[in-house]
Amino acid sequence: MRRGMAQTGSASSPAGSGGKRDEAVLRASNLSRRFPVRSGVFGRATDYVRAVEDVSFAAVEGETLAIVGESGCGKSTTGRLLMGLVQPDRGSVQFNGKLVGAPGGIPLKSFRQRVQMVFQDSAGSLNPRLPIVDTIAFGPRVHGVGTVEARTRAEALLSEVGLPPRIFARRYPHELSGGQRQRVNIARALALEPRVIIFDEAVSALDKSVSAQIINLLIKLRSERGLTYIFISHDLAVVEFISDRILVMYLGKVVESGPAADLFSAPWHPYTRALLASRLHADPDRRVREAPTTGDPPNPIHPPPGCRFHPRCSMAEPVCTANEPALQEAGTGSRMVACHAYRAGSGHSMAT
Amino acid sequence: MFILRRVIQAVPILLGVSLIVFGLVHMLPGNPIEMMLPAEAPAEVIARVKADFGFDDPLPTQYLKWLVQALHGNLGTSVYTAQPIAPDLFNALGNTLPLAVLATIIGCGAGIALGLMAAFGRKRWPDKLCLTAATAGVSVPHYWFGMVLVIVFSVLLNWLPAQGKGAEGAFWSLDQLRYMILPAITLSLIPMGTIARVVRATALDVLSREFVDALLAKGLRRGRIVLHVVKNAAPPVAALLGLQIGYLLGGSILVETVFNWPGSGSFLSQAIFRHDIPVLQATILILAAIFVALNLGADIVQALLDPRLRRR
Amino acid sequence: MSDSLSYEVVPKVAVPQAAADTPPYWQTVFRRLRNDWLTLAVGAILVGIVSAAIFAPVLAPYSPYSGSILHRLAPIGTPGHWLGTDETGRDIWTRLLYGGRLSLLAGISPVIIALAIGGSLGVIAGYSGGLANSVIMRATDTLYAFPSVLLAVAICGILGNGLLNSILALAAIFVPPMVRISESVTSQVRVLPFMEAAKASGASDLQIIRHHVISNIVGTILVYATSLFSLSIILASGLSFLGLGVNPPDAEWGLMLNSLRQAIYVQPLVAALPGLLIFITSMCFNLMSDGLRSAMDTRLSE
Repeated sequence: MRRGMAQTGSASSPAGSGGKRDEAVLRASNLSRRFPVRSGVFGRATDYVRAVEDVSFAAVEGETLAIVGESGCGKSTTGRLLMGLVQPDRGSVQFNGKLVGAPGGIPLKSFRQRVQMVFQDSAGSLNPRLPIVDTIAFGPRVHGVGTVEARTRAEALLSEVGLPPRIFARRYPHELSGGQRQRVNIARALALEPRVIIFDEAVSALDKSVSAQIINLLIKLRSERGLTYIFISHDLAVVEFISDRILVMYLGKVVESGPAADLFSAPWHPYTRALLASRLHADPDRRVREAPTTGDPPNPIHPPPGCRFHPRCSMAEPVCTANEPALQEAGTGSRMVACHAYRAGSGHSMAT
Repeated sequence: MFILRRVIQAVPILLGVSLIVFGLVHMLPGNPIEMMLPAEAPAEVIARVKADFGFDDPLPTQYLKWLVQALHGNLGTSVYTAQPIAPDLFNALGNTLPLAVLATIIGCGAGIALGLMAAFGRKRWPDKLCLTAATAGVSVPHYWFGMVLVIVFSVLLNWLPAQGKGAEGAFWSLDQLRYMILPAITLSLIPMGTIARVVRATALDVLSREFVDALLAKGLRRGRIVLHVVKNAAPPVAALLGLQIGYLLGGSILVETVFNWPGSGSFLSQAIFRHDIPVLQATILILAAIFVALNLGADIVQALLDPRLRRR
Repeated sequence: MSDSLSYEVVPKVAVPQAAADTPPYWQTVFRRLRNDWLTLAVGAILVGIVSAAIFAPVLAPYSPYSGSILHRLAPIGTPGHWLGTDETGRDIWTRLLYGGRLSLLAGISPVIIALAIGGSLGVIAGYSGGLANSVIMRATDTLYAFPSVLLAVAICGILGNGLLNSILALAAIFVPPMVRISESVTSQVRVLPFMEAAKASGASDLQIIRHHVISNIVGTILVYATSLFSLSIILASGLSFLGLGVNPPDAEWGLMLNSLRQAIYVQPLVAALPGLLIFITSMCFNLMSDGLRSAMDTRLSE
């Protein structure tokens, strides 16, 4: 899987260079969302889980943007905010420059035809009482396609994802394996002919061999249809294989972003370094000998003051507790990082 | 505290009940006056009755007046007898109460016995038999069953009286019991079926849990196991008891009609056929309020017995 | 007759767990039913009773209204009146057949009406959550504060006599439990993951309810509704027994029971017959409902 790393070549499509447009097809601006923690007699909200805070990024058409981080960092919530399944407290989502769900922008229903999502729970995502061809056909029918044509489209999609319709069309979800179900979910997403597909841990629950097949399928579909992918995952090996650009999230904030190759070869943010260092290698010479991070796992209800990573950071200094670093450009290329150590004049000893 | 919260929650329900009762009587088709007086009554009689009973006030005013009076114990005056309602109503309730209690005791006892027998003999013939009995208890029209009992014990065997309450006397006296036993058994069918099913289900659940095997392994004798099962099955049954008594108090009308028992059910029936609106209103209100109160009591008792329920 | 309306334990929605090679859900249900002789037998009896009622004009030897006083209260086995005659001389067998029509109608219609109204309200409450849910459920709780018999009698007493009023009254007391159960299963389904996926397709709430919610709740709700039939028949006949339902001279089992009350001293067996039919019908509905319930319970192992 490391082949694809040296060049942004075989496994990933060129980002920004020769791509169709440089304008962002999907843009998130200052998305924030917190969830109340209720307790007490009247169920009053006594505290808040700050799931996502001030997250902004843009995905260019044709590229695959990965969002990575450990569990609880807010990447799934970000995916749902993008889809509009969860309403943001602040911030907005734009599709091709138009605001989603706002007057004068693009209505939610049309947006949902253009941006689709594949979820982690392959079984739960499918209605157990419907044959899979009907599940796939549901989307087009919602958007006005006739029943017969929707079914035909669904069957064509089934064969495109590798499930011959003659055998699989009338089957029920519980008669399929995990990998087959995910193929159905992919077909369902494709049925609306979207431009962007968001994958929320889509292969995390599958066996490695099965997930490899699915990833290859996704790559094939991407080049055939010119799709844009937002790939949310905690599995760095998969991410390295399939992505053009990477967004690293920690405790609800973006801490680093940049082209995949650059990020993997030279990570900047201490958290990114820790993530990459903690990857287990099959090669015994490259065993991981010590834990890359120390300190307690974070509490999203009361995040640490200043930089959220500082309790576990080996480079932490007093300025990190005092001020929260903003996500800023640094260095060449389109890399951004939120760390005092890379910001001139921040007061950090390593800042140039 | 938990109890306080439940009590507070009951208040809007009671208010809602009073609203429904009032609304039912006054907003359904048919002028209340016309329902009470014969059609040929002269105009001034109608006007006088209206004024007497306050029917010429706007509806919300009538409702509030009625509610406030009721809270003070004044349930209004009967159109038919021109007497205050409260004493007669509570008199009738007093007749139904011993019946309901006796019926609940019988039904509870039979139900628990049936349920335990079914659970301990699971999958074998005691289970099937008791389950069928419980289902029958739930399916039998108890007014018919009362008639059958009368046929068997009064008409054919002539052991027990067929109707009525008998002469005045303490209700636990033998004479009174002779009159009470048949209606009580009839009424007891209702709780028996439900309690048998609940006891059976709960007992089966308890028996299947692992700690019972652990107890058996420790050498605990069968009898103690039964006690243990009963302790665990007690909370839902206790909750049901209150419900059943309340239900019998409110729903005794059918049995009381069969046996001509002068209780609250007959009182209600009379009010209906006499088109006596104030009595109807007051009776439904009181019976429903008692049901709510008993429900509340049952919840509280259940929470006291089962510590798991005490949290929100 | 029981208090099952307020007590009912609400079952979990039967969402079959994913497993390789299990046959489709409804096939399993049908197979279990086919092997359950008791439920099948009971079902056959019910079909018999209903058919007899429907075909009453064909099966009955007499008119249900005519009878001669001279032949009143004839015992069972009298030639020409094999089940005897009632207190005005009308043939019991005929009256039972015709009575079945009204009794069954009065028993079955309220449940169906309550299913339509209560089911819809419950689905709306369960799906919307929030304020709509609170309003609907609090209103339902208030209706629950009345013992069912009391409410039915009260409504009938106020609306007046007649078959229609009795059907309305019973429908009113069955609506709260239907609301409760359909709200409960809809709430359970609403949080299942595929609902989110359906929403992500851009479907409107109505489309989601029609395509995804209904198919998952219909089994549970139907089974519960069938369990209400037995209670409904008992109460409907009970209302007529009190004089609040069907009016004489129409034939109806509860009404017959009432008018034959005086006859228990003369012909006890004849007098008990209408009630026996109510009992049998109600028992059959109960057993059938139990059978359906265990056939649909996915927690039972094969």
